[in-house]
Amino acid sequence: MNEVRRLAAAYVGLLALLALTVASAFVDLGGFNSAANLAIAAAKAALIAVLFMQLPRQGVLPRLVVVAVALWLAILFALTLAG
Amino acid sequence: MSERIGAVPATYMGEGSGPRAWLLTTDHKRVAWLYLVALTVFFFLGGAMAVLIRVELATPAGDLVSDDAYDRLFSIHGIIMVWFFLVPSIPATLGNFLLPLMIGARDLAFPRLNLASWYVFIFGSGFTLYSVIAGGVDTGWTFYTPFSTMFSNSYVSAAAFGVFIVGFSTIMTGINFIVTVHKLRAPGLTWFRLPIFVWTMYATALVMVLATPVLAASLILIVLERVFGIGVFDPGLGGDPLLFQHLFWFYSHPAVYIMILPGMGVVSEILPCFSRRPLFGYTAVALSSMAIAIFGFLVWGHHMFVSGQSAYAGLVFSFLSYCVAIPSAIKVFNWSLTLRKGEIAFETSMLYALGFLGLFTFGGLAGLFLAALAVDVHVHDTYFVVAHFHYIMVGGMVTAFMAGIHFWWPKITGRMYSETWGRIAAIVTFLGFNLTFFPQYVLGFLGMPRRYHAYPPEFAFWHILSSAGAVVLALGYLMPLFSLGWSLFRGPRAPDNPWRATGLEWKTTSPPPPHNFDETPVVDGPPYRYPLAEDGA
Amino acid sequence: MSGAVESEAFRDAERERQADAFGMWIFIGSEAMLFGAVMLVYLTARMAHPEGFGEASSRLSLLLGTVNTAVLITSSLAMALADLLVKLGRRRAAAWALAATALLGLAFLAVKGVEYADEVREGLAPVLGLPFAFEGADPRGAQLFFELYFASTGLHAAHLIGGLAAIATVLATWRRSTDAACLRRTRAVGLYWHFVDIVWVFLFPLLYLVHR
Repeated sequence: MNEVRRLAAAYVGLLALLALTVASAFVDLGGFNSAANLAIAAAKAALIAVLFMQLPRQGVLPRLVVVAVALWLAILFALTLAG
Repeated sequence: MSERIGAVPATYMGEGSGPRAWLLTTDHKRVAWLYLVALTVFFFLGGAMAVLIRVELATPAGDLVSDDAYDRLFSIHGIIMVWFFLVPSIPATLGNFLLPLMIGARDLAFPRLNLASWYVFIFGSGFTLYSVIAGGVDTGWTFYTPFSTMFSNSYVSAAAFGVFIVGFSTIMTGINFIVTVHKLRAPGLTWFRLPIFVWTMYATALVMVLATPVLAASLILIVLERVFGIGVFDPGLGGDPLLFQHLFWFYSHPAVYIMILPGMGVVSEILPCFSRRPLFGYTAVALSSMAIAIFGFLVWGHHMFVSGQSAYAGLVFSFLSYCVAIPSAIKVFNWSLTLRKGEIAFETSMLYALGFLGLFTFGGLAGLFLAALAVDVHVHDTYFVVAHFHYIMVGGMVTAFMAGIHFWWPKITGRMYSETWGRIAAIVTFLGFNLTFFPQYVLGFLGMPRRYHAYPPEFAFWHILSSAGAVVLALGYLMPLFSLGWSLFRGPRAPDNPWRATGLEWKTTSPPPPHNFDETPVVDGPPYRYPLAEDGA
Repeated sequence: MSGAVESEAFRDAERERQADAFGMWIFIGSEAMLFGAVMLVYLTARMAHPEGFGEASSRLSLLLGTVNTAVLITSSLAMALADLLVKLGRRRAAAWALAATALLGLAFLAVKGVEYADEVREGLAPVLGLPFAFEGADPRGAQLFFELYFASTGLHAAHLIGGLAAIATVLATWRRSTDAACLRRTRAVGLYWHFVDIVWVFLFPLLYLVHR
């Protein structure tokens, strides 16, 4: 059924991204490796949040929480690393 | 509320007695009492430390206690007062009690989580108390590395772990308050019809959930280093001890807003009531509460101006610190304008609230001095800073706590206290406070450093004034303990609305029934609709 | 599916469900701040010791780390299935899915245990006073890496154990709970579990894939 297909697609996508990130470790792209890995991790996190945690279906408040936390972590990182 | 004929109506205090009914309660009003008892104990415990400190400092020689013991005294004073009194104070007592009432709800969103938060608080604070009894901690309440991780021989891990646990109690309260305000408002109660007290509880709760976890991280890293040997702040390994300060102050600066915002909420309820005027600039006060909560996260580096962080960072934090003063100033202006052309009644809680207005402003102005980089270099780690934060935390926050306790005491207990004794206590406290802490501004400027118990004789005059003030202040804080305690047994019964105040909490009985309201109230207008019809022309 | 409310304050079950989910999101938000702070410590250390971190990271078992990541992702799938099954009213199947989630979580811990044992044996565990020996260009940086590795994976494991305890509690009371309660609890535990997975999804590349 539809729901199961979505979950299965998410699962396959996550494993594919895992393979991608591990494979990229064997290719030397200099500084870009770290950026790529973090981007892939963010993509995985988004898949989990959207398809497993069903973030879009939970109303506006949980999304506000995610945005707020992302913003606050950005503040913590930016102002600390500036010091 | 209509009069009931015959038997006394069932209240939350009468329903179910004995230890189990209180220790296993999920009624937010009873949980508020559990917190009130615990917090009162901690306040006087921390206060006892303060008395010892002031007795020691009355003479220039460090003769009452040893250097090491003095380190432990001020550390424990700070830890207890900050984490086991100030942070939970108004939210866990008045907030717990009043928030559901003010929005017309039957309880908080998660009543069992509320009770659990109290047990977590007791467990965590117990841990730290154990460390105190075992010998105490000497790092200061700030636990700076690498001293705390590598060199201190005191009970750092136990104390830090206790605070770490209490932090989760704070987070639980924050989650409860946020969800409650979003999901349990009565029909017609839109955001901009909420009492300011609710706005400030909400803003406080936001800070609680965003800031406290970072404290948890910093403390758990200390414990990991001391207990498991995982040394991430160890400079010998290339770790950065300054990083601890960034994590610690990322929490601890917003924490001062956790401590003061609720007091601002209390005062915003009392001033309109006893001026019989609506709060001036309601929207500005509500939005500035949120602004304080948000901006408060951007200024933590002002605790680290001389720590070795870059000059660029210092500039940014200094500028942002000036910005954060603006919403507080907006509130002070609006509170003052609320009084204008009002019919001022000097009830006990109003005296405390007016005291807050003056003392908070005075302490806040000192903050402007401290935000200036060059001035801070001179007064950092002196008594100037000590005076600044005591003016805000004690002159501001504790005074507001007293104001709120006296204002809502009839509602909470169904009893009236002696106004005469209440007013005397408020005035004694105000005088004692200023005598204690104003000399400390002078001391700081003259160069008296913090955390020293022996000092050159030229500072003695100001220290003697301060210690004398402390005696008066202690008296001022003991008096309500007796007058309020007395009222519990002998005070006249309180009517539903003794102050003729607006707000949903006054529309139910004093004390309220277990489920707060017989019928869910419906709200059809803004708060603070003073003067009321019965006030007359 | 409606049902009785559990909390005093709510009269409407749907509102209570929303409140529960919102509350759990705020909690995981706060946990994200916690892990974010720890990762900031890691980042600053890595920026100060790029070579040492690179060398040290290559001593971790990429195979076991990858396997573990796959295990945790699979456990999230099981958890999402449990949520779906409860929603469809198939409580027995849902309970099995929850149990599978927990088993996979245990498997993760087992693999982690093997890794830790290997690292201790190779003298790469600067914890609890154990000897640390690293031959490379930046042994101090490497030691800092391993300390942060143990701190962050340890913290993550503690959270995972908490999740296991939560699943166990939910399963223990499964039979005598109402449908609404089962749904609510599965949702809440599920959100937490997925969050623990997300933390690992970031930890894995940060720890195992540091490029020299």
